[in-house]
Amino acid sequence: MSRYPSLGYGLGLRKEHYHEILDTDPAIDWFEILSENYLVPGGKPRYFLARIAERYPLVMHGVSLSIGSTDPLDQDYLKQLKALADEIEPRWISDHLCWTGINGLNLHDLLPLPYTEEAIAHVVERVMRVQDYLGRRILLENVSSYISYADSQLTEWEFLNAISERADCLILLDINNIHVSALNHDFDPRAYLEGIAGERVQQFHLAGHSDFGDYAIDTHDAGIIPSVWSLYEQAVERYGNVSTMIERDDNIPPLADLLAELEQARRIAGDRIHPEAANG
Amino acid sequence: MAERSLRDIQEALQRHLTNGDEQVRELIVGTPRFPIETRLGIYSDAYRLRLIEALSDAYPAVHTLLGDEGFAALGAAYLEAHPSSYRSIRWFGDQLAHFLAERPPWRDTPLLAEMADFEWALRGAFDAPDARPLERETLRRIPPERWAGLRLRFAPSLQALRHHHWNTVALWRAIEAESDPIPPQALPEVETWAIWRSADQRTRYRSLPVDEAWALGQMREGVDFSSVCAGLVEWIDEAHIPARAAGFLHQWLEDELIADIDSVA
Ligand SMILES: [Fe+2]
Repeated sequence: MSRYPSLGYGLGLRKEHYHEILDTDPAIDWFEILSENYLVPGGKPRYFLARIAERYPLVMHGVSLSIGSTDPLDQDYLKQLKALADEIEPRWISDHLCWTGINGLNLHDLLPLPYTEEAIAHVVERVMRVQDYLGRRILLENVSSYISYADSQLTEWEFLNAISERADCLILLDINNIHVSALNHDFDPRAYLEGIAGERVQQFHLAGHSDFGDYAIDTHDAGIIPSVWSLYEQAVERYGNVSTMIERDDNIPPLADLLAELEQARRIAGDRIHPEAANG
Repeated sequence: MAERSLRDIQEALQRHLTNGDEQVRELIVGTPRFPIETRLGIYSDAYRLRLIEALSDAYPAVHTLLGDEGFAALGAAYLEAHPSSYRSIRWFGDQLAHFLAERPPWRDTPLLAEMADFEWALRGAFDAPDARPLERETLRRIPPERWAGLRLRFAPSLQALRHHHWNTVALWRAIEAESDPIPPQALPEVETWAIWRSADQRTRYRSLPVDEAWALGQMREGVDFSSVCAGLVEWIDEAHIPARAAGFLHQWLEDELIADIDSVA
């Protein structure tokens, strides 16, 4: 079991920055794209994606796999995902450990699963089928959550570990989501970091959120706060050279602001995070 | 307590989000600091907000015409009637024009449905499949005796022609330019609009004279050039038809509406 080579420091690709990226070739090691934005036949999104793919390594990040749903896997979606992957050759493909709807509906939200044996078995079987179909190991990301199910028997990290172990998939750790969920569910975020099997962590997400005092909501629409930075520092201590990126989904600032945030990550992690040669 | 399957849990939460069913409350735990209502409320609010925002992204002019409150009410009613079944949220609003045309009170303002339909067509043109426009030279090389059988293939971004009864496009332009609002007005005559995307990735739209609209509609359906010319007699003197029809082709080339020659048999 090995990880993909690290890509270093990256950013989420957003349409607001297409022109600036192509005009200025910013010093960013790689970009993460939101897969669904490019599952369209043509036009501007695909046009810019093709040009950026010529210059930067890309990874594909999806929100619609619904790996935990009790509906059948959406074969048509998988087919589209695979066609996009064939075209842009991403270094890896990720989605979330969650469900997004049943009975054919998509609620377009990343809904948490109960942490049970039943859910583990269900997700593991589906991850293996998806990996088989895509011909590669995928990454699953921890989501921010606001509810806990009475039926849960495990901690979130035990649940994530068990799935990645049994399905032989990799982990995308969203540091901000750990912080948010820790606040909402009264657990120690450091226990989460300690609990996750380090050798499966392929990527970090860093993002901002909204703190309401008694709880926090993951909005991915603001700057990264100090306690998330310090959690990031601990994550780097523990996991080493894990590709790091800043994920801003809303309230998109100028590229320069995100580059400054990425500089902050560099100040914290330094050379411990760096691109590795393919097959290296 | 009876054991609940993963399916039961998902059914209960989805029912809560889509129609407010409260059974899910028995399946989750809260704390005094962060009670169950607040926890569930975050998901319900996020669900509605996210989908209404996606609708607003697709229909900015409908949003402007209705105002924030009016649009939120429309969004909530639409979401209840047409919850998303799409992987990509981009398609969520696909029934809005139809919904506006049928559902009171919005159906009493027919301009709204026409605006929604126009905005949806713009979106359709925006990310339709790419195609290289036909070069003038290719058309010029067709020998005169074979022109009669000419059939064209149009750019995949060319939307079905839209027939407008209102000054929808003028309103849309004013809203887009954030200039002073102009009053909605019924048009003296129906206007037909072509909406497509040119090779430079720009979304384009143009109103068509009645004979050109008919000719484009026919050729888009695969009718051959000579039949279209014959039909133009409804609007034009027979003597002027060849020049008029050649003018259409010239304009469609300029517009980058033609993707290919389908056949000249
Ligand atoms: Fe994330």
